[in-house]
Amino acid sequence: MVRSGPLPPQLQRRGAALLCAAALAALPARLAAQTDYYNTDAGRPVLIEDAYPTERYAFELQLAPLRLERVSGGVYDWGVEPEIAYGILPQTHVEVGFPLAWTDAAGAAGEFGLAGIDVSVLHNLNVETSGLPAFGIAAEAVLPVGSLAPDQLYPSVKAIATRTFGFARFHVNGRYTFGSEPDSDTAGEAAEGPEELSRWMAGVAVDRTLPLRSMLLIADVYAAQPLHEEEDLEWNAGAGVRFQWSPRLAVDAGLGRRLTGGPRWFVTFGTAYAFAVRSLIPLPAR
Amino acid sequence: MTAHPSTLRALLGALALVVGLGAEAGPLEAQWVRESEQFYLPAGHNWKFRDNYANADRLFNAFDYGHAILYEELYTRPDGPVERLEEKEFDFLTRRLLLNPPRVPLEEGAIEVAYAKLAPEAKMMFHWAHLLHRQAYDVWADERLSPAEKDAAMAEVLAYYRSRPDLAFSTVPKSMEIMDGQYFSLAFRQRYPKFNGLIWAYHWLQVGLYEPLLVGGDVQERKAGVDATVGRFWQMISDAPENMPHLMPMTASVAPEFSRRYPEVAIVFDNLHMMHDVVSDVLVSEKVPRGRKRQELLRQAELFRSDTAYATTREEWLRMAEMMGANNMGGRAVGFTAALPEPTVARGASMADMDHGAHAAQPADHAAMGHATHGADAGTTAPDREKALEFAARLLSDPAVEARIHADPRLHRLRSDHARAAGDPHAGHAQAQRAPGSAGEPSDADELLALAAEVVRDGEVQRRIQQDPVLRRQWEDPGVRRVLLRRP
Repeated sequence: MVRSGPLPPQLQRRGAALLCAAALAALPARLAAQTDYYNTDAGRPVLIEDAYPTERYAFELQLAPLRLERVSGGVYDWGVEPEIAYGILPQTHVEVGFPLAWTDAAGAAGEFGLAGIDVSVLHNLNVETSGLPAFGIAAEAVLPVGSLAPDQLYPSVKAIATRTFGFARFHVNGRYTFGSEPDSDTAGEAAEGPEELSRWMAGVAVDRTLPLRSMLLIADVYAAQPLHEEEDLEWNAGAGVRFQWSPRLAVDAGLGRRLTGGPRWFVTFGTAYAFAVRSLIPLPAR
Repeated sequence: MTAHPSTLRALLGALALVVGLGAEAGPLEAQWVRESEQFYLPAGHNWKFRDNYANADRLFNAFDYGHAILYEELYTRPDGPVERLEEKEFDFLTRRLLLNPPRVPLEEGAIEVAYAKLAPEAKMMFHWAHLLHRQAYDVWADERLSPAEKDAAMAEVLAYYRSRPDLAFSTVPKSMEIMDGQYFSLAFRQRYPKFNGLIWAYHWLQVGLYEPLLVGGDVQERKAGVDATVGRFWQMISDAPENMPHLMPMTASVAPEFSRRYPEVAIVFDNLHMMHDVVSDVLVSEKVPRGRKRQELLRQAELFRSDTAYATTREEWLRMAEMMGANNMGGRAVGFTAALPEPTVARGASMADMDHGAHAAQPADHAAMGHATHGADAGTTAPDREKALEFAARLLSDPAVEARIHADPRLHRLRSDHARAAGDPHAGHAQAQRAPGSAGEPSDADELLALAAEVVRDGEVQRRIQQDPVLRRQWEDPGVRRVLLRRP
């Protein structure tokens, strides 16, 4: 997560317009928060996700998605990002996350706070067929809310493709983030998780399902260009597992490492609980 | 911003991998599918069957695998050895997976990878109907609900199911001809009789489990009844294929109390199970070229959603179930005796087989077995077809019409062609009752109707119809015209 530097008004307008356009485009379809182990979600446990959203009318609640990252110099960043996704329309979900961050530098006082509010909408354009992969689009934004949040709105757009073969499934993600470079002084350590803000990010994941065990093994590799233009391109890799604990509860765990720019690694653990709210479902008259 | 050309090349390569590999030729619009998945109806009874009848519930998870691996094998290995399904997969399922079934419902898309991509629309129809199955079990497994509350809950889950007309099977019953009488029909059960028996045993249990839940007077009786029904299922699959159902289990035969109380739900399940068989036939049959599998599956899915295609009445649906015989379907799912029911027809018998065999002496019941609607005659009913056959037989036996056919070279040639294809059409009504032949060949009855449809267009024949009071009365029947005038 990278914070600081106000977004110029023209860029804020552009970002808002992009978000609106993406939301409008999503109206006839569905978004990407998932309700079981087979439908991957960004960061759970790897960054690269599939092109499918949460089912219509379903809520997916991620209660304790933990992330521990070891930065060079013995500094540990802890993060918890409770999220909730809702299948608001066919092939479309909306998602809101509240990332809480805690930086624990050796010999120094830790810092704890809300690192912004993440909002997103994901729309699946099509279901995969023999001739076509599944495609999805997403609009995301980090809102400048909280003591560790960025000082400005950072909107992003994302494209996703998923292709399934008998031996494995592949996902490709590409994301571009709008907004000016953050102020270096205000870009806190906690705001630099590898899965979060960058000028652009592109990567690929491969997963292998063990269907009779309701388990999925997944690995990804991606490149991210930091918002600071002078910084070098970063390469990261991760791997993990998703497991269906019960019909409504999925768990995930993973680990990863930055491949460039000095040693840095992370581990994650999370749970996702799926449910629906009866009053939000229109039942036809009998 | 730094982006090395090699980086970009690597990322573009990854994109090409995902987007390009495995792509098969075909029109883009035909591949652009936008069906969406939807969560089950939230209610207090959710997952009660899993909580209260865990052993039975877990079997259904194994059934999911059986259906999925079947379609995947049929589609990806069309020329594979029969033993692959009949022995290897069958043994895995019956000796390992059913004994230790998965804990949670399976993600079928991860098993039937190629099939799911071939016809995701059909896959989603199955999934949506399976959700209805599970929700119906949950309703009746929830001991907190009174019978009246269970009825109300069943009505709700059915309404929710039907709120997706793009996925929901029709609540109008289909004639057996949709399963037995299409040009590709019977291919699966003829090539894979043992696996077909296993699928029918699955379907027997899936509809059969409702019966002990409904007829049990209290929770102990219900639990004992479910245990007994599961026990009968194990009896069925032991010594396979000896004890497996010989005909597709129909809900009205296996679970008559459930069918009486919830006829629309029972009809949906029969249509679901028929379509399972039809999909297998389409995948196996060489009469459906590989390049047309998707198209045919989508057409079948549409027929099964339609309220008119191959439609029959509820009364005929019940008669059909009675006529086919519960003993041929594994028997009713309660009140078991130690011995398994004694079938009266050959394993995997079709309607045509039954007509020529044990049931040949009961031609009057033929319509009840669902031969009244056929193929492209979507919208016609069983009685329509029966009346049309009677009319055709009388018309073609009429001396004046015979003379006209003999005098007219075109009609004469048509009659000769049809006679060669189907035997002597002058054999009359009894022969006209014969059902479609095996392997999807047109039946004698079809040939008779096709010939009558041509002859009836002739002006002189029309005059003769008007002169003869019986023919005229028959011809004035709208059902007869619907059947004959829709034919090419």
